This record gives sequence, C-alpha cells and structure tokens, in this order.
Amino acid sequence: MRTSEITQRPVVTMAGDDIAQIKDIVYAADGGSVRGFTLAGRGLFSGPLSTVLPWSKVAALGSDAVMIRDEHALTDPAELDAGSARSIGKGGNILGSQVLTDAGTDLGRVVDAIVEVSGGHEQCDVVGYEIESSEALENAGTKVLIPLPDTVAASGEHLIVPASARNFVRKDLAGFGAAVADFRKQLEGGGS
Amino acid sequence: MLFSTSRKHKIVSTGTAETVARVKGFVVDPVTRHVVALVVRKSKQGDTLPWTRVSGFGPDAVTVADESAIGPADEPIAALAGKSNTMLKKQAISSFGDHIGTVTDVAFDGDTGAIQSVLVDGEPVPADRLLGVGSFAVVLEAEPTP
Repeated sequence: MRTSEITQRPVVTMAGDDIAQIKDIVYAADGGSVRGFTLAGRGLFSGPLSTVLPWSKVAALGSDAVMIRDEHALTDPAELDAGSARSIGKGGNILGSQVLTDAGTDLGRVVDAIVEVSGGHEQCDVVGYEIESSEALENAGTKVLIPLPDTVAASGEHLIVPASARNFVRKDLAGFGAAVADFRKQLEGGGS
Repeated sequence: MLFSTSRKHKIVSTGTAETVARVKGFVVDPVTRHVVALVVRKSKQGDTLPWTRVSGFGPDAVTVADESAIGPADEPIAALAGKSNTMLKKQAISSFGDHIGTVTDVAFDGDTGAIQSVLVDGEPVPADRLLGVGSFAVVLEAEPTP
C-alpha cells in the first residue's frame, strides 16, 4: 500500500479505542523497511504526541486502522532513533529525491513509497516508489511505480536503483507485487 | 434475545406488579462477553439495573424483585457504560484493521446475559470473536486465513 494512505490512519487498540493517529513514517537508515511511526492525537485540534509506535508493536496494518494490542504499544521516541532515517514524509529525505539508475539515467522524482508486510509480520518492507516519470520512461510526467531491491543507496538527493528496474515499472498497484518479486528474483539470479 | 427487540422492554416489579422503568440500553463487558447491566429510563432510583438484580428477562418484559434493584451505576459498570461503549450502529473492524461493516444487532442469552453473537450488517459473528468495544469501533477477531 502507499505510505500516503497510512498517514492519518487511526491507531486502534484491540479494545476498540482510537488513541492516536499516524503522523509520519520512520524508515530504517537503509530505506528498506519501516521502523515505526510518529503519532498525533485524534481530532482536529490535537497536536503531535510525544510517544511513537515502533513497528514491532504493531499488531496489524489494516486498510482502515493500525491495530495495536493496548496503549502500552506507544513508547518513548528513543526506541526508534537508533539506526533510523528521518521520515520521508516530512523531513524530505526521500520524498522528492531524484531516482537515478546505476547507469546514470534519471527516471523521475519520488512522490510516494509503497510498503508491504512480509515474513509473517516481521518486517514492513519498502518494496517500491511511486515516481513522477522523466523523459527516460514512456509517458513522461505520469506517475508510475518502480520496484526496489532489498536495500538501496539513498542520499536525500539521489536514490540509486539497478538499471534493470525500469523493465519492471508498473502503472498501478495491481500486479506490482508480482513485479517486485520478479525484479528481486532477477537480481538474486545475478542478471543485469 | 436481541438488543433491538428488547430495547424498549418495560421493567416490572414482581412485588408491586408496577412498571418501575423502561430499558434504554445495555452495558456490555467485552472481556467476559456478558451484559453486565441495563441502562434504564423513567426511574426515580437511578439509571442502572445491574444484571445480577434482574429476576427475569423475558420476550415481553424484564422483571425485578422490587424497585430498589435500580440505582446509580457503580464503579465497574460506570467504566463500561457511556457512548463509546455502545455497540449498536457502531462500525465493526477486524483485528487486522479492516472495516467489516456496521453492528446492526447483538444476540444474547436472556437467562445469563451472555452475548451469543454480534450481527454485522445482519450477518451473525460468534461472540467468541468479540475482542473489544471502544470509541472507534467494535473489534472482531479476524477469521484465520485458510
């Protein structure tokens, strides 16, 4: 799912209470997975909360709510800080970055990240980015999805992807999961 | 017995044979999955009838020994009462965080107060899947994926 759909989603306990909402997403420093979320209070006038929600405490990432067991899942921000990149949403670390292939072609700029829960529930993987495509791709200027390898090099300015990623570009989320799997399999197989 | 059909039941004292109040709502403990009290109206005594003081919950009326069964809510019941704990018309979500529908009714055992099933858009969900009733939603355990 797109990370832009996760922000503002309510954080709901198994008792059915919405005790917070997702403010922003915190990524692991390598950009390959979600470490947790920063939070805001519920309601129009509530500001940011001082607590955070680590991914390990998330019970389920649903289409209508982020489920947690109870309010103890919300913890001190220090738990997230080690090894985290600042969120892409606000700090602008990844959002807006230029996507370059390792061959030096500009594919476009990042407008959103696509995440997928994998390995049962162990990780929330960043599997791709939505980019506004450059002239190097067909339909320049439109939004397309590009799959990512397990880890990527990201500087905040650029994001480097293997050149073959452009062969797996998709226009929408339907079938994107398969494109990611094919792309990663091809990388593992040592193909170019 | 359904919440919807018993919501306006009169509460009759078996001692005096008089109507002492009417049922207005139900207080449910989602942990024990039981009705723990009835919220009543038109009583001078208070607004709460603990389930333990209900003599009979029939298809046409609720009976109590006498009017003193009704009183103000005590601490554990007050904690479970209130708008955020009502079930009817509240949205139902699964423990996976997905919207399922709206709670249209709740079926319960008139003898024990045990919740039997939660009706989501008319479809019964067994009570053992009820996890919580809160300010945001009624949470139902997701069916294990086959």
